[in-house]
Amino acid sequence: MPSNTASSSSAPAGSSKSKRPKYSKFTQQELPACKPILTPGWVILTFLVISVIFIPLGVVSLFASQDVVEIVDRYDNDCVPTPARTNKVAYIQGGSDKSCNRTLVVPKKMKQPIYVYYQLENFYQNHRRYVKSRSDSQLRSVKDENQIDACKPEDDVNGRPIVPCGLIAWSLFNDTYALSKNNQPLTVNKRGIAWKSDREHKFGKNVFPKNFQEGNITGGGRLDANKSLSEQEDLIVWMRTAALPTFRKLYGKIESDLEKGDTIHVTLLNNYNTYSFDGKKKLVLSTTSWLGGKNDFLGIAYLTVGGICFFLALVFTIMYLVKPRRLGDPTYLSWNRVPGGGR
Amino acid sequence: MEQDMKQIIINLETPEIHSLEKTGEKDAIAKASKESVLLQIINGKAQLKYSGGDSNAFALIIDGKSLAYALDDDVKHIFLELAVGCASVICCRSSPKQKALVTRLVKSGNGKTTLAIGDGANDVGMLQEADIGVGISGVEGMQAVMSSDIAIAQFRYLERLLLVHGHWCYRRISTMVCYFFYKNITFGFTLFLYEAYTTFSATPAYNDWFLSLYNVFFSSLPVIALGVFDQDVSARYCLKFPLLYQEGVQNVLFSWRRILGWMFNGFYSAVIIFFLCKSSLEPQAFNHQGKTPGREILGGTMYTCIVWVVNLQMALAISYFTLIQHIVIWGSIIVWYLFITFYGELPAMISTGAYRVFVEALAPSLSYWVVTLFVVVSTLLPYFVYSAVQMRFFPMYHGMIQWLRYEGQCNDPEYCDMVRQRSIRPTTVGFTARLEAKRRSVRRSESI
Repeated sequence: MPSNTASSSSAPAGSSKSKRPKYSKFTQQELPACKPILTPGWVILTFLVISVIFIPLGVVSLFASQDVVEIVDRYDNDCVPTPARTNKVAYIQGGSDKSCNRTLVVPKKMKQPIYVYYQLENFYQNHRRYVKSRSDSQLRSVKDENQIDACKPEDDVNGRPIVPCGLIAWSLFNDTYALSKNNQPLTVNKRGIAWKSDREHKFGKNVFPKNFQEGNITGGGRLDANKSLSEQEDLIVWMRTAALPTFRKLYGKIESDLEKGDTIHVTLLNNYNTYSFDGKKKLVLSTTSWLGGKNDFLGIAYLTVGGICFFLALVFTIMYLVKPRRLGDPTYLSWNRVPGGGR
Repeated sequence: MEQDMKQIIINLETPEIHSLEKTGEKDAIAKASKESVLLQIINGKAQLKYSGGDSNAFALIIDGKSLAYALDDDVKHIFLELAVGCASVICCRSSPKQKALVTRLVKSGNGKTTLAIGDGANDVGMLQEADIGVGISGVEGMQAVMSSDIAIAQFRYLERLLLVHGHWCYRRISTMVCYFFYKNITFGFTLFLYEAYTTFSATPAYNDWFLSLYNVFFSSLPVIALGVFDQDVSARYCLKFPLLYQEGVQNVLFSWRRILGWMFNGFYSAVIIFFLCKSSLEPQAFNHQGKTPGREILGGTMYTCIVWVVNLQMALAISYFTLIQHIVIWGSIIVWYLFITFYGELPAMISTGAYRVFVEALAPSLSYWVVTLFVVVSTLLPYFVYSAVQMRFFPMYHGMIQWLRYEGQCNDPEYCDMVRQRSIRPTTVGFTARLEAKRRSVRRSESI
């Protein structure tokens, strides 16, 4: 079949015998096009625009992050009584009283709401076997109670299905924190800590825990069998698996302000076993800004990239002024670099 | 053939062979003919060698009868060496079979890509044998057209076929392949880097359907548009600067350096995207309501950055934007946002982790948008700097022509001629050699 090469010869237009194909801009590849070229003006302008946007954004982000007040307290080592420190695993698995008292000092005024998190490190909630070990259909409705295939080994106990099944639910975090300030208890609001879509669509309102943590090995916390799953917000928060081995999960919110220098007493129950795998547990109190929690990285990175762009704009301006380009200097074309040519 | 080319003629018109023909002994004739042809070939090679430094242009003329002997297995390699050293080779009165054999000899002996053009039924063998067969439809019927790879209507269209379409196709295919590797490496390597944080247990960083549809919806159309429509310079300039075709001959756009350069681009893009997203988002809360990001949110943010980066990289790499390119590039990004919104609305049974992740978690949080902007710009900065430096200080040949077009010097014939001439390398074959020979003879006659 004849290809569409245009002819610039003189076939009479409109002649009925002409075999010339019908001209269209699309088939002749002559569509109107924009053919930008990286001129010095565009390059310098781009760098300047980027630095003009990034530097203020970086400053704003850094200020937002600096405004956030964060208290981090690692307690998993200190909360094990000294005589038991040689064998922490045995201690945590034993039946002794696990309560522990910690003291936190507020470094700056913290405005409400103040979020209380627990931070775990070296805990791989993103391991494939772990992530798959859940049954979403069982969590949503009662009639799917027996859909427990994916949940092995925590799928049933003596033939009766576990609700909620799977390793994720089985390893529910169960340290508790009771905070008080100046001998007045601080209420920690534990409602609304989970995502709304989880609460309303993924965890059913008439699904109740059954046969939970009744096996030989206890993996974590127990659940109140009288509360439906959609009200078990700790479970819902825990089951939204984290991305990385160091993560925080929301425990609750404090809805009153804390002044600078306030002493917070925390009575915590050190139940959760992170000692078998050298994990760490930390209690975190943090305010938030429009950007989220405390992370200077974003602000500093924005400033760095903005600064680099500004520097590049200067460098390119100097280069373009100092070195005028000589057109058509083809000595560096590949076939001229090798004497006599060749591939 | 120019008048002042040296000619090497090989034929069987010697007196000895004439006298042998009168006797009619087939064996003796064959033997003598073969020896004669071999001798003429060796003489020709000696002529070529002695004038080697002078880069005179030679033409080889051989007729069909001698060609039959020259294509014998023991002679053909010497014949090929002689032919390759000449600027033009004319085989007259050759049979169709001989045409095919000569083509095969050049193809296998030289290892280069051969193109054959013909219009009659006797060219069919040659057209089939060559790597590219161009058939001319017309007076002698359609046999040549039916056995060819490309058909044209007149011989002179060959110029446009090679210089315009050949150049464009080479550029399109090589850029498309390099870009395809790049975008998949960018995507796949972030998955691999994430695995380092999951004890290599093969947890995907993204939702399953995101993984499957990456190469279908979010990054495929721009590549297809590149492969079909891209042009570096328009047809007019391709014809005006024929040396642009050398980019294909010298394989500058698909050299190992370029392939590895694009792959490296993919690797460092993936590294930058992953580590910037990870450091910006974990472990602190990522929105005003104090919620912390999980796997879905980190995955969604990284995926958004990847879609933006590969599509903007395409916009930076090409220099030809029709409406189609705009639609496919920006459209792919918009399709991603639409997809994540509508996929998130599907019941949680189907969308699992991505259920409402965009409308509920990502879009309302300012840190999502801030991180996306930052990661995308930072990832593309190194390529942008490289591109700016290369275009200004070390432009490739098509870059030089783009500068010419931009600065409006294309209508200045002397300037264009200067660019063309200064780019040519000295050769002993082809058009340039004949031009040089003509100039030299003119100079010589002037000095005398």
